[in-house]
Amino acid sequence: MTINHRRSLANRCNALKSTGPRSASGKRASSQNSRKHGLNSATDFECSSEYRALVDLIAEEGFSAFACADIAAGLLNYRRVMDAYYDTYTSPEPVDEFLRDANMRASNPIFSELLSPSGSEPHDVREMAAFFASMQRQERRKGGPVSRRTADSHKLIRYQRNGIARLSRAVRQG
Amino acid sequence: MLYNVHFGIYVDVAMPVEDKSKSLLPFLSSPKLLPNESEADFQSGLQSLLSELDNPSPLAVALISQLNESLWWIKRHTKDKELLLHEAMARLLSKAGSYTETYDNRKVSEALERYLDGRADKGEAEWIDEVLAESKLTLSDLRVRAFKDAAKHIKMVDDLIHRQHQTMRHLQRSIDSIDYKSRLIKRLDLELAALESKQSLKGVLSLDDKPS
Repeated sequence: MTINHRRSLANRCNALKSTGPRSASGKRASSQNSRKHGLNSATDFECSSEYRALVDLIAEEGFSAFACADIAAGLLNYRRVMDAYYDTYTSPEPVDEFLRDANMRASNPIFSELLSPSGSEPHDVREMAAFFASMQRQERRKGGPVSRRTADSHKLIRYQRNGIARLSRAVRQG
Repeated sequence: MLYNVHFGIYVDVAMPVEDKSKSLLPFLSSPKLLPNESEADFQSGLQSLLSELDNPSPLAVALISQLNESLWWIKRHTKDKELLLHEAMARLLSKAGSYTETYDNRKVSEALERYLDGRADKGEAEWIDEVLAESKLTLSDLRVRAFKDAAKHIKMVDDLIHRQHQTMRHLQRSIDSIDYKSRLIKRLDLELAALESKQSLKGVLSLDDKPS
Protein backbone atom coordinates (compact mmCIF):
# COMPACT_ATOMS: atom_id res chain seq x y z
CA MET A 1 0.00 0.00 0.00
CA THR A 2 1.62 3.27 -1.09
CA ILE A 3 1.66 6.47 0.94
CA ASN A 4 -0.23 8.25 -1.82
CA HIS A 5 -3.02 5.70 -1.70
CA ARG A 6 -3.24 6.05 2.10
CA ARG A 7 -3.29 9.85 1.87
CA SER A 8 -5.94 9.88 -0.89
CA LEU A 9 -8.18 7.58 1.14
CA ALA A 10 -7.68 9.71 4.26
CA ASN A 11 -8.59 12.86 2.30
CA ARG A 12 -11.72 11.25 0.98
CA CYS A 13 -12.73 10.01 4.45
CA ASN A 14 -12.29 13.52 5.84
CA ALA A 15 -14.26 15.01 2.98
CA LEU A 16 -17.19 12.81 3.97
CA LYS A 17 -17.37 14.66 7.28
CA SER A 18 -17.89 17.97 5.47
CA THR A 19 -21.26 19.61 5.99
CA GLY A 20 -21.01 21.81 2.91
CA PRO A 21 -20.22 25.47 2.44
CA ARG A 22 -20.88 27.83 5.38
CA SER A 23 -19.85 31.26 4.12
CA ALA A 24 -22.06 33.29 1.78
CA SER A 25 -19.45 33.22 -0.99
CA GLY A 26 -19.04 29.44 -0.63
CA LYS A 27 -22.78 28.94 -0.88
CA ARG A 28 -22.92 31.23 -3.89
CA ALA A 29 -20.16 29.26 -5.61
CA SER A 30 -21.70 25.88 -4.87
CA SER A 31 -25.13 27.05 -6.07
CA GLN A 32 -23.63 27.05 -9.57
CA ASN A 33 -22.23 23.51 -9.29
CA SER A 34 -24.98 21.82 -11.24
CA ARG A 35 -24.99 24.32 -14.08
CA LYS A 36 -23.44 22.47 -16.99
CA HIS A 37 -24.38 23.87 -20.39
CA GLY A 38 -26.53 26.95 -19.58
CA LEU A 39 -29.08 26.10 -22.26
CA ASN A 40 -31.98 26.51 -19.86
CA SER A 41 -31.10 30.11 -19.12
CA ALA A 42 -32.94 32.84 -21.01
CA THR A 43 -30.93 34.74 -23.61
CA ASP A 44 -31.46 38.11 -25.18
CA PHE A 45 -30.18 37.82 -28.74
CA GLU A 46 -31.68 41.14 -29.76
CA CYS A 47 -28.96 43.10 -28.01
CA SER A 48 -26.11 41.35 -29.80
CA SER A 49 -24.36 42.73 -32.88
CA GLU A 50 -24.59 39.29 -34.55
CA TYR A 51 -28.36 39.47 -34.35
CA ARG A 52 -28.56 42.91 -35.93
CA ALA A 53 -26.16 41.96 -38.73
CA LEU A 54 -28.12 38.78 -39.46
CA VAL A 55 -31.46 40.62 -39.50
CA ASP A 56 -30.06 43.12 -42.03
CA LEU A 57 -28.71 40.36 -44.26
CA ILE A 58 -31.89 38.29 -44.16
CA ALA A 59 -34.05 41.36 -44.81
CA GLU A 60 -32.36 41.75 -48.19
CA GLU A 61 -33.74 38.37 -49.22
CA GLY A 62 -37.29 39.65 -49.13
CA PHE A 63 -38.41 38.38 -45.73
CA SER A 64 -40.70 40.51 -43.59
CA ALA A 65 -39.24 42.29 -40.54
CA PHE A 66 -40.98 39.85 -38.21
CA ALA A 67 -39.67 36.83 -40.13
CA CYS A 68 -36.13 38.27 -40.20
CA ALA A 69 -36.16 38.67 -36.42
CA ASP A 70 -37.50 35.14 -35.98
CA ILE A 71 -34.97 33.55 -38.34
CA ALA A 72 -32.00 35.44 -36.87
CA ALA A 73 -32.99 34.46 -33.31
CA GLY A 74 -33.57 30.86 -34.44
CA LEU A 75 -30.17 30.69 -36.10
CA LEU A 76 -28.34 32.17 -33.11
CA ASN A 77 -30.22 29.89 -30.73
CA TYR A 78 -29.30 26.84 -32.82
CA ARG A 79 -25.63 27.94 -32.83
CA ARG A 80 -25.76 28.30 -29.05
CA VAL A 81 -27.04 24.74 -28.72
CA MET A 82 -24.42 23.35 -31.09
CA ASP A 83 -21.62 25.22 -29.31
CA ALA A 84 -22.79 23.78 -25.98
CA TYR A 85 -22.96 20.35 -27.65
CA TYR A 86 -19.36 20.67 -28.80
CA ASP A 87 -18.22 21.84 -25.35
CA THR A 88 -20.00 18.94 -23.66
CA TYR A 89 -18.54 16.50 -26.15
CA THR A 90 -14.99 17.76 -25.77
CA SER A 91 -14.97 18.07 -21.97
CA PRO A 92 -16.77 15.07 -20.47
CA GLU A 93 -16.84 14.34 -16.76
CA PRO A 94 -13.27 13.21 -15.95
CA VAL A 95 -12.56 9.64 -14.94
CA ASP A 96 -11.65 9.32 -11.26
CA GLU A 97 -8.76 6.93 -11.82
CA PHE A 98 -7.93 6.61 -8.15
CA LEU A 99 -11.40 5.45 -7.25
CA ARG A 100 -11.76 3.28 -10.34
CA ASP A 101 -8.47 1.45 -9.87
CA ALA A 102 -8.38 1.29 -6.06
CA ASN A 103 -8.27 -2.17 -4.52
CA MET A 104 -10.97 -1.81 -1.87
CA ARG A 105 -10.30 -5.12 -0.16
CA ALA A 106 -6.69 -4.14 0.43
CA SER A 107 -7.83 -0.77 1.79
CA ASN A 108 -9.63 -2.21 4.83
CA PRO A 109 -6.63 -1.82 7.20
CA ILE A 110 -6.42 1.85 6.22
CA PHE A 111 -10.10 2.41 6.98
CA SER A 112 -9.63 0.69 10.30
CA GLU A 113 -6.63 2.83 11.13
CA LEU A 114 -8.42 6.02 10.06
CA LEU A 115 -11.45 5.24 12.17
CA SER A 116 -9.69 3.87 15.27
CA PRO A 117 -8.94 7.23 16.97
CA SER A 118 -12.70 7.74 17.43
CA GLY A 119 -13.05 4.30 18.89
CA SER A 120 -14.77 2.72 15.92
CA GLU A 121 -16.16 -0.79 15.72
CA PRO A 122 -15.38 -3.29 12.91
CA HIS A 123 -18.93 -2.63 11.81
CA ASP A 124 -18.00 1.01 11.06
CA VAL A 125 -15.01 -0.12 9.01
CA ARG A 126 -17.22 -2.45 6.98
CA GLU A 127 -19.70 0.37 6.38
CA MET A 128 -16.95 2.68 5.24
CA ALA A 129 -15.53 0.03 2.90
CA ALA A 130 -19.01 -0.70 1.53
CA PHE A 131 -19.58 2.99 0.90
CA PHE A 132 -16.34 3.34 -1.06
CA ALA A 133 -17.06 0.13 -2.95
CA SER A 134 -20.42 1.48 -4.08
CA MET A 135 -18.76 4.71 -5.22
CA GLN A 136 -16.26 2.62 -7.14
CA ARG A 137 -19.01 0.58 -8.80
CA GLN A 138 -20.70 3.82 -9.85
CA GLU A 139 -17.45 5.16 -11.26
CA ARG A 140 -16.78 1.97 -13.20
CA ARG A 141 -20.35 1.87 -14.52
CA LYS A 142 -19.86 5.30 -16.10
CA GLY A 143 -17.11 3.77 -18.25
CA GLY A 144 -14.21 5.45 -19.97
CA PRO A 145 -13.96 8.88 -21.63
CA VAL A 146 -15.86 7.86 -24.79
CA SER A 147 -18.78 6.40 -22.82
CA ARG A 148 -18.90 9.50 -20.65
CA ARG A 149 -18.89 11.98 -23.51
CA THR A 150 -21.58 9.91 -25.25
CA ALA A 151 -23.80 9.93 -22.17
CA ASP A 152 -23.22 13.67 -21.60
CA SER A 153 -23.92 14.59 -25.24
CA HIS A 154 -27.03 12.44 -25.23
CA LYS A 155 -28.56 14.73 -22.62
CA LEU A 156 -28.52 17.62 -25.12
CA ILE A 157 -30.60 15.86 -27.77
CA ARG A 158 -33.83 17.60 -26.78
CA TYR A 159 -32.21 21.04 -26.99
CA GLN A 160 -31.03 20.24 -30.51
CA ARG A 161 -34.47 19.01 -31.49
CA ASN A 162 -36.13 22.18 -30.20
CA GLY A 163 -33.44 24.46 -31.66
CA ILE A 164 -33.63 23.09 -35.19
CA ALA A 165 -37.44 22.92 -35.14
CA ARG A 166 -37.58 26.60 -34.16
CA LEU A 167 -35.16 27.60 -36.92
CA SER A 168 -36.84 25.50 -39.58
CA ARG A 169 -40.29 26.81 -38.65
CA ALA A 170 -39.07 30.40 -38.79
CA VAL A 171 -37.53 29.94 -42.26
CA ARG A 172 -40.51 28.10 -43.74
CA GLN A 173 -43.10 30.49 -42.33
CA GLY A 174 -41.06 33.56 -43.25
CA MET B 1 -21.36 49.81 -43.46
CA LEU B 2 -19.42 47.08 -41.68
CA TYR B 3 -20.83 44.67 -39.11
CA ASN B 4 -18.65 42.62 -36.83
CA VAL B 5 -20.61 39.40 -37.09
CA HIS B 6 -18.58 36.92 -35.08
CA PHE B 7 -14.99 35.90 -34.41
CA GLY B 8 -13.84 39.23 -35.82
CA ILE B 9 -15.45 38.65 -39.22
CA TYR B 10 -16.81 41.79 -40.87
CA VAL B 11 -19.77 41.83 -43.20
CA ASP B 12 -20.43 44.81 -45.45
CA VAL B 13 -24.17 45.08 -46.01
CA ALA B 14 -23.59 46.97 -49.28
CA MET B 15 -21.49 44.21 -50.92
CA PRO B 16 -22.92 41.78 -53.52
CA VAL B 17 -24.76 38.67 -52.27
CA GLU B 18 -22.05 36.18 -53.25
CA ASP B 19 -19.35 38.13 -51.46
CA LYS B 20 -21.63 38.49 -48.48
CA SER B 21 -22.17 34.74 -48.41
CA LYS B 22 -18.43 34.27 -48.29
CA SER B 23 -18.07 36.78 -45.47
CA LEU B 24 -20.87 35.20 -43.52
CA LEU B 25 -19.40 31.75 -43.97
CA PRO B 26 -16.83 31.84 -41.15
CA PHE B 27 -19.46 33.16 -38.74
CA LEU B 28 -21.73 30.16 -38.93
CA SER B 29 -19.33 27.55 -40.18
CA SER B 30 -16.26 28.35 -38.10
CA PRO B 31 -15.07 24.79 -37.74
CA LYS B 32 -14.77 23.68 -34.15
CA LEU B 33 -12.61 20.70 -34.83
CA LEU B 34 -10.96 18.15 -32.59
CA PRO B 35 -7.15 18.02 -32.53
CA ASN B 36 -6.95 14.96 -34.84
CA GLU B 37 -9.41 16.29 -37.43
CA SER B 38 -8.53 17.88 -40.75
CA GLU B 39 -9.84 21.35 -41.50
CA ALA B 40 -9.20 20.80 -45.21
CA ASP B 41 -11.66 17.87 -45.23
CA PHE B 42 -14.23 19.95 -43.40
CA GLN B 43 -13.88 22.84 -45.85
CA SER B 44 -13.92 20.61 -48.94
CA GLY B 45 -17.19 19.06 -47.73
CA LEU B 46 -18.62 22.53 -47.26
CA GLN B 47 -17.49 23.71 -50.67
CA SER B 48 -18.99 20.69 -52.41
CA LEU B 49 -22.33 21.35 -50.69
CA LEU B 50 -22.15 25.04 -51.58
CA SER B 51 -21.44 24.27 -55.22
CA GLU B 52 -24.83 22.55 -55.41
CA LEU B 53 -26.64 25.73 -54.37
CA ASP B 54 -28.58 27.38 -57.18
CA ASN B 55 -29.13 30.55 -55.23
CA PRO B 56 -26.24 31.30 -52.85
CA SER B 57 -28.04 33.79 -50.62
CA PRO B 58 -26.49 34.45 -47.18
CA LEU B 59 -29.26 32.54 -45.39
CA ALA B 60 -28.91 29.54 -47.71
CA VAL B 61 -25.14 29.54 -47.11
CA ALA B 62 -25.71 29.72 -43.36
CA LEU B 63 -28.05 26.74 -43.49
CA ILE B 64 -25.71 24.78 -45.73
CA SER B 65 -22.87 25.28 -43.27
CA GLN B 66 -25.10 23.93 -40.47
CA LEU B 67 -25.84 20.95 -42.70
CA ASN B 68 -22.14 20.35 -43.22
CA GLU B 69 -21.61 20.44 -39.46
CA SER B 70 -24.32 17.81 -38.99
CA LEU B 71 -22.54 15.58 -41.51
CA TRP B 72 -19.32 16.09 -39.57
CA TRP B 73 -21.02 15.11 -36.31
CA ILE B 74 -22.31 11.92 -37.96
CA LYS B 75 -18.72 11.04 -38.90
CA ARG B 76 -17.55 11.72 -35.33
CA HIS B 77 -20.28 9.63 -33.76
CA THR B 78 -19.68 6.76 -36.17
CA LYS B 79 -16.05 6.70 -35.06
CA ASP B 80 -17.23 6.79 -31.45
CA LYS B 81 -19.14 3.56 -31.94
CA GLU B 82 -15.91 1.76 -32.72
CA LEU B 83 -14.11 3.50 -29.84
CA LEU B 84 -16.85 2.42 -27.44
CA LEU B 85 -16.28 -1.16 -28.49
CA HIS B 86 -12.54 -0.82 -27.93
CA GLU B 87 -13.17 0.68 -24.51
CA ALA B 88 -15.46 -2.18 -23.55
CA MET B 89 -12.97 -4.74 -24.88
CA ALA B 90 -10.24 -3.22 -22.74
CA ARG B 91 -12.53 -3.23 -19.72
CA LEU B 92 -13.36 -6.89 -20.20
CA LEU B 93 -9.69 -7.79 -20.65
CA SER B 94 -8.81 -5.87 -17.47
CA LYS B 95 -11.44 -7.75 -15.53
CA ALA B 96 -10.48 -11.12 -16.94
CA GLY B 97 -6.69 -10.85 -16.81
CA SER B 98 -4.76 -11.87 -13.74
CA TYR B 99 -1.64 -10.02 -14.85
CA THR B 100 -2.17 -7.14 -12.46
CA GLU B 101 -3.73 -6.58 -9.10
CA THR B 102 -5.47 -3.35 -10.03
CA TYR B 103 -8.07 -2.40 -12.56
CA ASP B 104 -5.47 -0.90 -14.88
CA ASN B 105 -7.81 -0.04 -17.70
CA ARG B 106 -5.82 2.67 -19.42
CA LYS B 107 -2.74 0.52 -19.96
CA VAL B 108 -4.81 -2.29 -21.51
CA SER B 109 -6.89 0.18 -23.48
CA GLU B 110 -3.85 1.82 -25.08
CA ALA B 111 -2.19 -1.52 -25.83
CA LEU B 112 -5.38 -2.93 -27.30
CA GLU B 113 -5.89 0.15 -29.45
CA ARG B 114 -2.43 -0.30 -30.97
CA TYR B 115 -2.98 -4.05 -31.31
CA LEU B 116 -6.24 -3.59 -33.23
CA ASP B 117 -4.69 -0.94 -35.49
CA GLY B 118 -1.71 -3.21 -36.18
CA ARG B 119 0.67 -0.68 -34.59
CA ALA B 120 1.58 -2.79 -31.54
CA ASP B 121 5.20 -3.89 -31.21
CA LYS B 122 6.08 -7.53 -30.79
CA GLY B 123 6.14 -7.47 -27.00
CA GLU B 124 2.81 -5.69 -26.73
CA ALA B 125 1.15 -8.02 -29.24
CA GLU B 126 2.45 -11.02 -27.31
CA TRP B 127 1.16 -9.56 -24.07
CA ILE B 128 -2.35 -9.02 -25.51
CA ASP B 129 -2.31 -12.57 -26.97
CA GLU B 130 -1.24 -13.87 -23.57
CA VAL B 131 -4.04 -12.01 -21.76
CA LEU B 132 -6.55 -13.25 -24.32
CA ALA B 133 -5.33 -16.83 -23.86
CA GLU B 134 -5.41 -16.43 -20.07
CA SER B 135 -9.00 -15.21 -20.29
CA LYS B 136 -9.81 -18.10 -22.67
CA LEU B 137 -11.09 -15.66 -25.26
CA THR B 138 -10.49 -15.03 -28.95
CA LEU B 139 -10.54 -11.52 -30.34
CA SER B 140 -13.95 -12.07 -31.97
CA ASP B 141 -15.38 -13.50 -28.72
CA LEU B 142 -14.10 -10.47 -26.90
CA ARG B 143 -15.67 -8.18 -29.49
CA VAL B 144 -19.05 -9.90 -29.15
CA ARG B 145 -18.94 -9.62 -25.37
CA ALA B 146 -17.84 -6.01 -25.61
CA PHE B 147 -20.74 -5.24 -27.91
CA LYS B 148 -23.12 -6.64 -25.31
CA ASP B 149 -21.35 -4.75 -22.55
CA ALA B 150 -21.40 -1.41 -24.39
CA ALA B 151 -24.90 -1.84 -25.86
CA LYS B 152 -26.37 0.96 -23.76
CA HIS B 153 -23.81 3.51 -24.94
CA ILE B 154 -23.89 2.27 -28.54
CA LYS B 155 -27.64 2.83 -28.50
CA MET B 156 -26.98 6.38 -27.27
CA VAL B 157 -24.58 7.00 -30.16
CA ASP B 158 -27.23 5.70 -32.56
CA ASP B 159 -29.67 8.20 -31.06
CA LEU B 160 -27.14 10.99 -31.58
CA ILE B 161 -26.63 9.98 -35.22
CA HIS B 162 -30.37 9.79 -35.73
CA ARG B 163 -30.73 13.27 -34.28
CA GLN B 164 -28.23 14.62 -36.82
CA HIS B 165 -30.18 12.97 -39.64
CA GLN B 166 -33.36 14.65 -38.41
CA THR B 167 -31.54 17.97 -38.20
CA MET B 168 -30.34 17.57 -41.79
CA ARG B 169 -33.90 16.87 -42.91
CA HIS B 170 -35.09 20.09 -41.24
CA LEU B 171 -32.26 22.09 -42.82
CA GLN B 172 -32.92 20.60 -46.25
CA ARG B 173 -36.59 21.60 -46.02
CA SER B 174 -35.60 25.12 -44.99
CA ILE B 175 -33.16 25.43 -47.91
CA ASP B 176 -35.84 24.17 -50.31
CA SER B 177 -38.29 26.71 -49.00
CA ILE B 178 -35.79 29.57 -49.49
CA ASP B 179 -35.03 28.30 -52.99
CA TYR B 180 -38.73 28.05 -53.82
CA LYS B 181 -39.36 31.52 -52.39
CA SER B 182 -36.60 33.10 -54.47
CA ARG B 183 -37.86 31.34 -57.63
CA LEU B 184 -41.38 32.53 -56.87
CA ILE B 185 -40.19 36.10 -56.41
CA LYS B 186 -38.25 35.93 -59.69
CA ARG B 187 -41.28 34.53 -61.48
CA LEU B 188 -43.58 37.19 -60.05
CA ASP B 189 -41.06 39.87 -61.04
CA LEU B 190 -41.00 38.52 -64.60
CA GLU B 191 -44.78 38.35 -64.75
CA LEU B 192 -45.04 41.87 -63.39
CA ALA B 193 -42.51 43.13 -65.94
CA ALA B 194 -44.44 41.37 -68.72
CA LEU B 195 -47.70 42.91 -67.53
CA GLU B 196 -46.13 46.34 -67.31
CA SER B 197 -44.69 46.11 -70.81
CA LYS B 198 -48.06 44.87 -72.11
CA GLN B 199 -49.77 47.73 -70.34
CA SER B 200 -47.37 50.32 -71.71
CA LEU B 201 -47.77 48.85 -75.22
CA LYS B 202 -51.55 49.11 -74.84
CA GLY B 203 -51.13 52.70 -73.69
CA VAL B 204 -49.05 53.54 -76.75
CA LEU B 205 -51.60 51.85 -79.01
CA SER B 206 -54.53 53.63 -77.38
CA LEU B 207 -52.73 56.96 -77.75
CA ASP B 208 -52.20 56.17 -81.43
CA ASP B 209 -55.90 55.31 -81.85
CA LYS B 210 -57.09 58.61 -80.35
CA PRO B 211 -58.46 60.96 -82.98
CA SER B 212 -56.52 64.16 -83.12
